Amino acid sequence: MLNELLLNLAHWFDRQSWSTSIHESIYLYSWIETTHVLTLMVFLGMLCVIDLRMLGAIFPNVPASTIAQRLDKPMMIGFAVMLITGFLLYYAIPVRTTQSLWFRIKVVLLIAAGVNAFLFRAKMQASSETWDLDPIPPKRIRIGAALSLALWAGVVITGRTIAYDWFDCHKQLPYFMYWVVGCVDEMAALQ
Amino acid sequence: MDLYPFFDWLDTSLLADISKAYGGVFAVVQMLHLLGISMLGGMVLVGDLRLLNIVMKDIPSEVVIENTHKWFNVALVMIIISGIFMSSAVALKLYYNTMFWAKMTSLTAGVVFVYAVRRPLLKFDHASIKPITLRMIAITSISIWFTVAASGRWIGFS
Repeated sequence: MLNELLLNLAHWFDRQSWSTSIHESIYLYSWIETTHVLTLMVFLGMLCVIDLRMLGAIFPNVPASTIAQRLDKPMMIGFAVMLITGFLLYYAIPVRTTQSLWFRIKVVLLIAAGVNAFLFRAKMQASSETWDLDPIPPKRIRIGAALSLALWAGVVITGRTIAYDWFDCHKQLPYFMYWVVGCVDEMAALQ
Repeated sequence: MDLYPFFDWLDTSLLADISKAYGGVFAVVQMLHLLGISMLGGMVLVGDLRLLNIVMKDIPSEVVIENTHKWFNVALVMIIISGIFMSSAVALKLYYNTMFWAKMTSLTAGVVFVYAVRRPLLKFDHASIKPITLRMIAITSISIWFTVAASGRWIGFS
Protein backbone atom coordinates (compact mmCIF):
# COMPACT_ATOMS: atom_id res chain seq x y z
CA MET A 1 0.00 0.00 0.00
CA LEU A 2 2.70 2.47 1.09
CA ASN A 3 4.94 1.30 -1.75
CA GLU A 4 2.18 2.05 -4.28
CA LEU A 5 1.57 5.48 -2.77
CA LEU A 6 5.26 6.40 -2.82
CA LEU A 7 5.64 5.14 -6.38
CA ASN A 8 2.57 7.11 -7.55
CA LEU A 9 4.00 10.25 -5.95
CA ALA A 10 7.33 9.59 -7.66
CA HIS A 11 5.61 9.13 -11.04
CA TRP A 12 3.74 12.40 -10.48
CA PHE A 13 7.03 14.22 -9.86
CA ASP A 14 8.56 12.43 -12.83
CA ARG A 15 5.87 13.75 -15.19
CA GLN A 16 6.67 17.36 -14.28
CA SER A 17 8.77 19.23 -16.81
CA TRP A 18 11.05 20.77 -14.14
CA SER A 19 12.03 17.31 -12.95
CA THR A 20 13.07 16.35 -16.49
CA SER A 21 14.82 19.69 -16.98
CA ILE A 22 17.02 19.25 -13.88
CA HIS A 23 17.76 15.63 -14.73
CA GLU A 24 18.70 16.35 -18.33
CA SER A 25 20.56 19.63 -17.77
CA ILE A 26 24.26 19.56 -18.51
CA TYR A 27 25.40 21.42 -15.39
CA LEU A 28 22.44 22.13 -13.07
CA TYR A 29 22.15 18.61 -11.65
CA SER A 30 25.92 18.48 -11.07
CA TRP A 31 25.87 21.86 -9.32
CA ILE A 32 22.99 20.81 -7.08
CA GLU A 33 24.79 17.59 -6.18
CA THR A 34 28.06 19.42 -5.59
CA THR A 35 26.30 21.93 -3.32
CA HIS A 36 24.65 19.04 -1.46
CA VAL A 37 28.01 17.32 -0.87
CA LEU A 38 29.97 20.49 -0.07
CA THR A 39 27.38 21.64 2.46
CA LEU A 40 28.33 18.49 4.39
CA MET A 41 31.34 20.51 5.53
CA VAL A 42 29.05 23.16 7.03
CA PHE A 43 26.38 20.94 8.54
CA LEU A 44 28.30 17.79 9.45
CA GLY A 45 31.46 19.80 10.17
CA MET A 46 29.69 21.91 12.80
CA LEU A 47 27.87 18.87 14.16
CA CYS A 48 31.24 17.10 14.42
CA VAL A 49 32.64 19.93 16.57
CA ILE A 50 29.57 19.90 18.85
CA ASP A 51 29.55 16.09 19.20
CA LEU A 52 33.31 15.94 19.78
CA ARG A 53 32.86 18.49 22.59
CA MET A 54 30.11 16.31 24.05
CA LEU A 55 32.54 13.37 23.85
CA GLY A 56 35.15 15.46 25.68
CA ALA A 57 37.56 15.38 22.72
CA ILE A 58 37.71 19.07 21.82
CA PHE A 59 37.44 22.47 23.56
CA PRO A 60 37.78 20.96 27.08
CA ASN A 61 38.03 24.43 28.64
CA VAL A 62 34.98 25.90 26.93
CA PRO A 63 31.50 25.17 28.35
CA ALA A 64 29.73 22.53 26.25
CA SER A 65 26.55 24.61 26.05
CA THR A 66 28.53 27.57 24.64
CA ILE A 67 29.88 25.42 21.79
CA ALA A 68 26.42 24.01 21.06
CA GLN A 69 24.73 27.41 21.12
CA ARG A 70 27.35 29.26 19.06
CA LEU A 71 27.45 26.66 16.30
CA ASP A 72 23.73 25.95 16.20
CA LYS A 73 22.87 28.65 13.65
CA PRO A 74 25.56 27.85 11.02
CA MET A 75 24.79 24.16 11.46
CA MET A 76 21.08 24.71 10.83
CA ILE A 77 21.84 26.89 7.78
CA GLY A 78 23.90 23.99 6.43
CA PHE A 79 21.08 21.55 7.21
CA ALA A 80 18.52 23.74 5.41
CA VAL A 81 20.71 23.89 2.27
CA MET A 82 21.22 20.11 2.41
CA LEU A 83 17.49 19.54 2.78
CA ILE A 84 16.61 21.77 -0.20
CA THR A 85 19.34 20.38 -2.48
CA GLY A 86 18.53 16.85 -1.29
CA PHE A 87 14.89 17.28 -2.25
CA LEU A 88 15.92 18.67 -5.67
CA LEU A 89 18.15 15.62 -6.25
CA TYR A 90 15.21 13.36 -5.38
CA TYR A 91 12.87 15.47 -7.54
CA ALA A 92 15.20 15.14 -10.55
CA ILE A 93 15.24 11.31 -10.41
CA PRO A 94 12.14 10.44 -8.34
CA VAL A 95 11.20 6.93 -9.51
CA ARG A 96 14.63 5.33 -9.31
CA THR A 97 15.34 7.07 -5.99
CA THR A 98 12.02 5.96 -4.48
CA GLN A 99 12.93 2.39 -5.44
CA SER A 100 16.43 2.63 -3.98
CA LEU A 101 17.16 0.50 -0.93
CA TRP A 102 19.85 2.96 0.15
CA PHE A 103 17.58 5.98 -0.14
CA ARG A 104 15.00 4.23 2.02
CA ILE A 105 17.59 3.35 4.68
CA LYS A 106 18.90 6.93 4.46
CA VAL A 107 15.44 8.37 5.18
CA VAL A 108 15.01 6.01 8.18
CA LEU A 109 18.45 7.02 9.50
CA LEU A 110 17.64 10.71 8.96
CA ILE A 111 14.48 10.32 11.04
CA ALA A 112 16.43 8.42 13.72
CA ALA A 113 19.16 11.11 13.74
CA GLY A 114 16.47 13.80 14.03
CA VAL A 115 14.78 12.04 16.98
CA ASN A 116 18.19 11.52 18.62
CA ALA A 117 19.08 15.21 18.12
CA PHE A 118 15.75 16.29 19.63
CA LEU A 119 16.10 14.01 22.68
CA PHE A 120 19.80 14.88 23.01
CA ARG A 121 19.07 18.61 22.99
CA ALA A 122 16.28 18.22 25.56
CA LYS A 123 18.50 16.09 27.80
CA MET A 124 21.37 18.56 27.44
CA GLN A 125 19.27 21.62 28.22
CA ALA A 126 17.77 19.93 31.27
CA SER A 127 21.05 18.86 32.80
CA SER A 128 23.87 20.98 31.36
CA GLU A 129 24.12 23.17 34.48
CA THR A 130 25.59 20.24 36.40
CA TRP A 131 28.29 19.29 33.87
CA ASP A 132 28.64 22.24 31.48
CA LEU A 133 32.18 23.03 32.60
CA ASP A 134 33.35 19.41 32.83
CA PRO A 135 36.01 18.63 30.21
CA ILE A 136 34.37 15.22 29.77
CA PRO A 137 30.54 15.23 29.98
CA PRO A 138 28.58 12.40 31.69
CA LYS A 139 28.24 9.00 30.03
CA ARG A 140 24.63 9.48 28.86
CA ILE A 141 25.64 12.64 26.99
CA ARG A 142 28.66 10.92 25.45
CA ILE A 143 26.44 8.03 24.29
CA GLY A 144 24.05 10.53 22.67
CA ALA A 145 26.94 12.25 20.89
CA ALA A 146 28.45 8.94 19.70
CA LEU A 147 25.01 7.82 18.46
CA SER A 148 24.61 11.11 16.61
CA LEU A 149 27.98 10.69 14.84
CA ALA A 150 27.19 7.04 13.99
CA LEU A 151 23.73 7.87 12.60
CA TRP A 152 25.07 10.70 10.45
CA ALA A 153 27.89 8.46 9.23
CA GLY A 154 25.14 6.05 8.20
CA VAL A 155 23.29 8.86 6.40
CA VAL A 156 26.49 9.73 4.51
CA ILE A 157 27.26 6.16 3.44
CA THR A 158 23.68 5.39 2.37
CA GLY A 159 23.56 8.73 0.54
CA ARG A 160 26.68 7.76 -1.36
CA THR A 161 25.52 4.21 -2.11
CA ILE A 162 22.29 5.44 -3.78
CA ALA A 163 24.52 5.66 -6.87
CA TYR A 164 25.08 1.87 -6.82
CA ASP A 165 22.50 -0.39 -8.50
CA TRP A 166 23.15 -3.52 -6.40
CA PHE A 167 19.50 -3.75 -5.27
CA ASP A 168 17.69 -1.92 -8.06
CA CYS A 169 14.40 -3.32 -9.37
CA HIS A 170 15.92 -4.60 -12.64
CA LYS A 171 18.08 -7.01 -10.62
CA GLN A 172 16.98 -10.55 -9.73
CA LEU A 173 15.95 -10.17 -6.08
CA PRO A 174 13.91 -12.24 -3.59
CA TYR A 175 10.25 -11.18 -3.13
CA PHE A 176 11.01 -9.74 0.31
CA MET A 177 13.71 -7.47 -1.13
CA TYR A 178 11.36 -6.31 -3.91
CA TRP A 179 8.95 -5.33 -1.12
CA VAL A 180 11.65 -3.54 0.90
CA VAL A 181 12.88 -1.68 -2.18
CA GLY A 182 9.31 -0.96 -3.38
CA CYS A 183 9.47 -2.74 -6.75
CA VAL A 184 5.70 -2.79 -7.19
CA ASP A 185 5.62 -4.13 -10.79
CA GLU A 186 8.16 -6.87 -10.06
CA MET A 187 6.15 -7.99 -7.02
CA ALA A 188 2.97 -8.15 -9.13
CA ALA A 189 4.81 -10.21 -11.77
CA LEU A 190 5.84 -12.76 -9.15
CA GLN A 191 2.29 -13.19 -7.79
CA MET B 1 58.46 14.96 -12.70
CA ASP B 2 56.25 12.40 -14.40
CA LEU B 3 54.23 10.42 -11.85
CA TYR B 4 52.99 7.88 -14.41
CA PRO B 5 55.12 5.01 -12.98
CA PHE B 6 53.50 5.54 -9.56
CA PHE B 7 49.97 5.45 -11.03
CA ASP B 8 50.90 2.45 -13.15
CA TRP B 9 52.14 0.64 -10.03
CA LEU B 10 49.08 1.68 -8.02
CA ASP B 11 46.77 0.33 -10.74
CA THR B 12 48.15 -3.19 -10.30
CA SER B 13 48.82 -3.08 -6.55
CA LEU B 14 47.08 -5.10 -3.81
CA LEU B 15 45.07 -1.97 -2.94
CA ALA B 16 43.72 -1.89 -6.50
CA ASP B 17 42.83 -5.60 -6.31
CA ILE B 18 40.74 -4.92 -3.20
CA SER B 19 39.17 -1.63 -4.32
CA LYS B 20 38.22 -3.04 -7.74
CA ALA B 21 36.89 -6.38 -6.47
CA TYR B 22 34.91 -5.33 -3.39
CA GLY B 23 32.35 -2.60 -4.06
CA GLY B 24 31.23 -2.68 -0.42
CA VAL B 25 34.75 -2.01 0.91
CA PHE B 26 35.13 0.82 -1.61
CA ALA B 27 31.83 2.36 -0.44
CA VAL B 28 32.87 2.22 3.23
CA VAL B 29 36.24 3.83 2.47
CA GLN B 30 34.41 6.45 0.43
CA MET B 31 32.26 7.14 3.49
CA LEU B 32 35.41 7.64 5.58
CA HIS B 33 36.67 10.02 2.87
CA LEU B 34 33.42 12.02 3.03
CA LEU B 35 33.44 12.04 6.83
CA GLY B 36 37.07 13.21 6.75
CA ILE B 37 36.11 16.00 4.36
CA SER B 38 33.21 17.00 6.61
CA MET B 39 35.45 17.04 9.67
CA LEU B 40 38.24 18.92 7.90
CA GLY B 41 35.74 21.40 6.46
CA GLY B 42 34.12 21.86 9.87
CA MET B 43 37.46 22.56 11.58
CA VAL B 44 38.57 24.95 8.83
CA LEU B 45 35.22 26.77 8.86
CA VAL B 46 34.95 27.08 12.64
CA GLY B 47 38.53 28.41 12.85
CA ASP B 48 38.23 30.75 9.88
CA LEU B 49 34.76 32.04 10.76
CA ARG B 50 36.13 32.82 14.22
CA LEU B 51 39.02 34.77 12.65
CA LEU B 52 36.39 36.65 10.62
CA ASN B 53 34.47 37.35 13.86
CA ILE B 54 31.35 35.56 12.62
CA VAL B 55 31.02 32.66 15.10
CA MET B 56 32.11 32.02 18.69
CA LYS B 57 32.98 35.69 19.19
CA ASP B 58 33.10 35.26 22.97
CA ILE B 59 35.77 32.54 22.81
CA PRO B 60 39.39 33.68 22.24
CA SER B 61 40.41 32.95 18.64
CA GLU B 62 43.67 31.38 19.88
CA VAL B 63 41.61 28.74 21.74
CA VAL B 64 39.46 28.04 18.68
CA ILE B 65 42.45 27.74 16.32
CA GLU B 66 44.40 25.50 18.73
CA ASN B 67 41.49 23.11 19.30
CA THR B 68 40.40 22.85 15.68
CA HIS B 69 43.96 22.31 14.40
CA LYS B 70 44.29 18.97 16.25
CA TRP B 71 41.20 17.55 14.56
CA PHE B 72 42.19 19.11 11.24
CA ASN B 73 45.29 16.89 11.37
CA VAL B 74 43.18 13.79 12.10
CA ALA B 75 40.81 14.62 9.23
CA LEU B 76 43.68 15.25 6.79
CA VAL B 77 45.22 11.84 7.56
CA MET B 78 41.79 10.19 7.08
CA ILE B 79 41.33 11.95 3.74
CA ILE B 80 44.78 11.10 2.39
CA ILE B 81 44.69 7.40 3.37
CA SER B 82 41.13 6.86 2.10
CA GLY B 83 41.92 8.96 -0.99
CA ILE B 84 44.90 6.77 -1.96
CA PHE B 85 42.72 3.65 -1.58
CA MET B 86 39.96 5.15 -3.73
CA SER B 87 42.47 6.31 -6.35
CA SER B 88 43.82 2.78 -6.69
CA ALA B 89 40.49 1.64 -8.22
CA VAL B 90 40.86 4.02 -11.17
CA ALA B 91 44.53 5.00 -10.99
CA LEU B 92 45.29 5.29 -14.71
CA LYS B 93 41.97 7.02 -15.45
CA LEU B 94 42.78 9.62 -12.79
CA TYR B 95 46.26 10.16 -14.20
CA TYR B 96 44.66 11.49 -17.39
CA ASN B 97 41.91 13.46 -15.57
CA THR B 98 42.41 17.24 -15.48
CA MET B 99 40.09 17.72 -12.48
CA PHE B 100 42.08 15.19 -10.46
CA TRP B 101 45.22 17.25 -10.99
CA ALA B 102 43.30 20.43 -10.12
CA LYS B 103 42.34 18.77 -6.85
CA MET B 104 45.89 17.56 -6.15
CA THR B 105 47.29 21.01 -6.88
CA SER B 106 44.77 22.75 -4.61
CA LEU B 107 45.27 20.10 -1.91
CA THR B 108 49.03 20.67 -2.01
CA ALA B 109 48.43 24.43 -1.85
CA GLY B 110 46.09 23.88 1.12
CA VAL B 111 48.57 21.72 3.04
CA VAL B 112 51.46 24.15 2.37
CA PHE B 113 49.24 27.10 3.36
CA VAL B 114 48.15 25.47 6.65
CA TYR B 115 51.55 24.24 7.81
CA ALA B 116 53.82 26.94 6.34
CA VAL B 117 51.67 30.06 6.64
CA ARG B 118 48.47 29.78 8.72
CA ARG B 119 49.78 27.66 11.56
CA PRO B 120 53.13 29.50 12.16
CA LEU B 121 51.44 32.91 11.91
CA LEU B 122 48.55 32.08 14.21
CA LYS B 123 50.91 30.79 16.91
CA PHE B 124 51.52 34.43 17.82
CA ASP B 125 49.12 36.37 20.06
CA HIS B 126 46.28 37.23 17.67
CA ALA B 127 45.98 40.71 19.19
CA SER B 128 49.47 41.41 17.85
CA ILE B 129 48.43 40.54 14.28
CA LYS B 130 46.66 43.14 12.12
CA PRO B 131 42.91 42.35 11.81
CA ILE B 132 43.15 42.60 8.01
CA THR B 133 45.88 39.92 8.03
CA LEU B 134 43.69 37.61 10.13
CA ARG B 135 40.79 38.17 7.74
CA MET B 136 42.99 37.52 4.69
CA ILE B 137 44.23 34.26 6.24
CA ALA B 138 40.64 33.15 6.87
CA ILE B 139 39.37 34.05 3.40
CA THR B 140 42.38 32.42 1.69
CA SER B 141 41.95 29.28 3.78
CA ILE B 142 38.21 28.95 3.06
CA SER B 143 38.81 29.59 -0.67
CA ILE B 144 41.57 26.97 -0.95
CA TRP B 145 39.65 24.24 0.89
CA PHE B 146 36.45 25.01 -1.01
CA THR B 147 38.43 24.55 -4.26
CA VAL B 148 39.84 21.23 -2.98
CA ALA B 149 36.37 19.88 -2.16
CA ALA B 150 34.65 21.23 -5.29
CA SER B 151 37.33 19.97 -7.69
CA GLY B 152 37.26 16.61 -5.87
CA ARG B 153 33.52 16.29 -6.45
CA TRP B 154 33.95 17.37 -10.06
CA ILE B 155 36.30 14.44 -10.74
CA GLY B 156 33.17 12.28 -10.77
CA PHE B 157 31.53 14.45 -13.42
CA SER B 158 34.51 14.77 -15.77
